[in-house]
Amino acid sequence: MSNFEKALEGLVVCDFSWVGAGPITTNVLGQCGAEIIKIESLKRPDILRKGGPFKDGIADGLERSGYFANRNPNKKCIALNMRQPKARDVAVRLIEKSDIIINNFRVGQMEKWNLGWEDVKKINPRIIYVTMSLQGMDGPHKSYMGFGVNLNALCGLTAQACMPGKSPFGTGTNYTDHVMVPTHTLFGIMAALLQREKTGQGQTVEISQLECAIAMKPIDSMVYAANGEIMGAMGCGDPNAAPHGVYTTLGYRKWLAIAVFSNEEWTALQKVMGNPAWAKDAKFATLEARKENEEELNAHIEDWTKDKYAVKLMKALVKEGVKAGLVNDARAAVEDEHLIERDYWAYLNHPVVGSTLYNRAPIMFSETPIEMRKAAPLLGEHTDEVLTGFLGYSDKELEALKAADVLI
Amino acid sequence: MEGEHKNRSLSDVKVLDFTGELGPYASKLYAGLGAEVIHLEPITGDPLRRKGPFYKGEKNNIEASLQFLYYNGNKKSLVVDLHKEEGRNIFLRLISNIDIFMESCVPGYLTNLGLSYENLKEVNPKLVQTSITPYGSVGPYKDYPGSDLTCSAMGGFLYLAGIDNEKPVRACDDQAYRMAESYAAVGSSIALLHAKRTGKGQFVDVSAMESVGMALENAAQYWDLEGSIRRGRGKEAGSATVHPCKDGYIAIVAIMGKNKIMWEPFMKWMKDENVEEWQVFEDPRWIEPSYRRSDEGYSTFCRIFHNYTMKHDKLSLYEKGQANRIALSPVSNGKDLLENPQLKHRNFWQTIEHENLGGEITFPGAPYEFGELDWRFGFPAPKFGEHTAQILESLNYKKEEIAVFSKEGIVHV
Repeated sequence: MSNFEKALEGLVVCDFSWVGAGPITTNVLGQCGAEIIKIESLKRPDILRKGGPFKDGIADGLERSGYFANRNPNKKCIALNMRQPKARDVAVRLIEKSDIIINNFRVGQMEKWNLGWEDVKKINPRIIYVTMSLQGMDGPHKSYMGFGVNLNALCGLTAQACMPGKSPFGTGTNYTDHVMVPTHTLFGIMAALLQREKTGQGQTVEISQLECAIAMKPIDSMVYAANGEIMGAMGCGDPNAAPHGVYTTLGYRKWLAIAVFSNEEWTALQKVMGNPAWAKDAKFATLEARKENEEELNAHIEDWTKDKYAVKLMKALVKEGVKAGLVNDARAAVEDEHLIERDYWAYLNHPVVGSTLYNRAPIMFSETPIEMRKAAPLLGEHTDEVLTGFLGYSDKELEALKAADVLI
Repeated sequence: MEGEHKNRSLSDVKVLDFTGELGPYASKLYAGLGAEVIHLEPITGDPLRRKGPFYKGEKNNIEASLQFLYYNGNKKSLVVDLHKEEGRNIFLRLISNIDIFMESCVPGYLTNLGLSYENLKEVNPKLVQTSITPYGSVGPYKDYPGSDLTCSAMGGFLYLAGIDNEKPVRACDDQAYRMAESYAAVGSSIALLHAKRTGKGQFVDVSAMESVGMALENAAQYWDLEGSIRRGRGKEAGSATVHPCKDGYIAIVAIMGKNKIMWEPFMKWMKDENVEEWQVFEDPRWIEPSYRRSDEGYSTFCRIFHNYTMKHDKLSLYEKGQANRIALSPVSNGKDLLENPQLKHRNFWQTIEHENLGGEITFPGAPYEFGELDWRFGFPAPKFGEHTAQILESLNYKKEEIAVFSKEGIVHV
């Protein structure tokens, strides 16, 4: 019997998900103490295993990808070739013991294996059944395809992430996959688990990746509906602040972000700059005036920052109450004293690539751990252990399944 | 019907939301599933009420901020001054019956008022308190003032939104804040489930700087495994690139890595459309990422593809591309989204009457669907102090007491 030293102790996840949003979702559950059983196959490995970066740049095999690894620590991986009819029996045994089953396949794949919700709820009526379609289960675009970059564009994130007068750029990443979709999936799962505490019953949780993305960036459509306006390129600006941007400082691609909303902050910034005469001009006196003359304002600020160290400026500014931050690249973020102090990064030992970098979920609990205990699994690393231990197969049955190419 | 709706909700979860510009989406996720959410505002009002854009440009109307109206739908407004002792007594009476207390106060602010988590836990041992701040409640930067931009910058997210020596661009809708809020909702729900099982609440610390770290994709691992620093994608021809068309832009992923099978439908599409110079795309060097990244590769791709795209609008390119199994999508603006056929089919947009504004506002709808839970927008975001009296009465304050509190500026009714 569990004593709940970990927040999600005792929960088991049957994880058919792959690539981005699904594995990030189960990663967070695993860090909070759930047991994640990831189902893969040599016949159909998680394609992120072939996505860079690779340890020392060597792409050989399926075990060197850091892209894959950071989404899959703490998980157990079983190799299960679902093309073999007997594989379904293994999946069914796992489903019987699971609290959550999750997939991010195209609509219809689980049904082909007779593992759609209607089948699964007969196997385990307490299970939470999670699907993550791109645009929902019905409608004219339900079968449309896309990667995170497509979804960024489609949901409206890309249009404004744009330097005025240039093509839209976006976040430079598959952003929607990393936060918008996994957090909504996680919250949906937790809501269903809370409901199960009351009813004892499982249910479906259907994520539409497009719809949850839009829920986190509502304003462009709201403004058009209310005021008939189309939001323009943002650059690094903010309609409610000036100066607001990133400014060149000493060093290779080193910028400092400064965000000034209130007049107090503007006064404080002037103080740190040494109260230059230009800043006293009426055209910079109010937020409205500063917005109107923003280009000139930014040129003045950059004149001040460009021959200084960003870190010195940041420390001087925050001390006076001005919001300022280094535009850190990944190395700087990995080496950042604050993140190190908060144990944000973790190095975990992996049998093939050795000690490599992971990050924990951005949640710190006072009473229950966020655990980074084990590196990402090798493909099929836990097949024997899970089948003979957790699922109760005998050694003989295990050998028979292996002989029938079920466990590859 | 009402009872049925209630069963299909988190109606037994009570959330107290004391956040402002940073924080409100966290409890909105609860409000959307029918939890009771009380939005505690300071006597000066939630600062988000003063942030644009505004309905019909009414920038001096504290009931017209579109952000406030979206993020606070289906929440009740309670206005109490915690700097007054009686205000703190009201707060303590309220907290005894709360499951999740979310706040985005500067670290130490509540402790200085005598409302530290340790104190609140004595009143309510199962309380989950979730703090949502720029840099977290512990660590060397905890007292740094922060904004969405500085958190995006410090966590390494902003740097990715550019190429080569270009300055980065910013994502809309304060994404560093939204990321922290969505993780705060998740962390709170995990702590709540644990509290329901054990009777023990806990303090949950969520920082925006850390939350953006979830969006670094593989950048940290590029540094750790290969010693290289990456920036944004967007200059490798046909692999996550944005291209102009007749009425805007489209985004396309016609190939990834050396995946020839992905490229073939694109080639065929260009051929079928008889795009000028389509034969160039038959050259096997397009399968090489290094060629696609070269100036020659990128400019050749753009020259040929734009010849076609500039003759068509984004919606027809979207439909034609998808019919050819190409991952192509429009770069949508607000208008495109409202007119999007899929979202229309799914009745995604929610139009809510706002009587006090004399009009309707259209909001994003359900991010998910459940078998046994209903999402709802719920009632419109509350007017300043709209539910103060009702909530105080539910805490057994008498009408006369409430009148005195109001007169003394302890509450706003």
